[in-house]
Amino acid sequence: MISKIINMADKMKDAEDRLLESMFAAPPIADDGFSASVVGKVRRRLWLRRLALPVAMLIGGAIAIKPLTAFVTLLASLSALLPQELFGVIAEFIPQAQTVVLGALLLAVCLLGMRTLED
Amino acid sequence: MYAAEDNQLVARVVSAQDTQAFGELVRRHQSQVRNFLRKLSGDITLADDLSQDCFMHAWDKIQTFSGRGSFIGWLLKVAYTTFLQSKRKSKRYAEILEEVGHVTDIEDRRYSVQADEVSDLEKLLAVLTDEERAIMVMSYACGLSHREISDATSLPVGTVKSVIFRGKQKIRTSFDIKDHQHG
Repeated sequence: MISKIINMADKMKDAEDRLLESMFAAPPIADDGFSASVVGKVRRRLWLRRLALPVAMLIGGAIAIKPLTAFVTLLASLSALLPQELFGVIAEFIPQAQTVVLGALLLAVCLLGMRTLED
Repeated sequence: MYAAEDNQLVARVVSAQDTQAFGELVRRHQSQVRNFLRKLSGDITLADDLSQDCFMHAWDKIQTFSGRGSFIGWLLKVAYTTFLQSKRKSKRYAEILEEVGHVTDIEDRRYSVQADEVSDLEKLLAVLTDEERAIMVMSYACGLSHREISDATSLPVGTVKSVIFRGKQKIRTSFDIKDHQHG
């Protein structure tokens, strides 16, 4: 009820208000391709957003491949420094321990890479 | 009826990123948004660029439209924000140019043209501040209620009313608007 009264008071206009309305009135502006241009821009932006993540992953992967292989090689050479008896003990319990450790490290690196790309 | 259809189109845009529905919203409201920005900026080319930016911002932020008020009210809020951002940017740009010794008229080329080149409305708008101009245009050219203007400008309804009152007073003291011929 109160809001109705407020709206009515809002709409009560005097002669000056009507005069101002007539002065501010403007003919409608023809579209002339304006909306098509906006929609075109929106579609381009949508496509760019859809492509951004795969392209970033591809570029990131291409950049990361060299240091990543160097890192894996380093890990492999480091594992050679460890006493072979230790591997023997572990291998008794888990036959593919070396592969599992290497896989876990790779997974951690990939997850970190994905997180960085998302950020 | 139109407002209800607007809300349906907005729902389609939000739920399915429907560009056709958004295109229909642009077609419906482009005239009012462009007219609003033309009156606000006093520059047709700039206003049309700002209108494009406004609709792009609207696309990005359409999920923030709650559907409580009218869609055009929300759209004019986006347009006003776009205008203020552009003004801040051009002001900063002018300051940078001044710092490096360039003379610029970017900031105040609007509403500073020769008096005989401008229409009565432009003369009228020139005596108002940006805020007063925006509120007066929303009220008298776009037909928004005080509540809708309050939502669009993030000002209390009482402030909106007093800005309109002040704007009318300024116009009254600068011009004898009763002498104005209709049309």
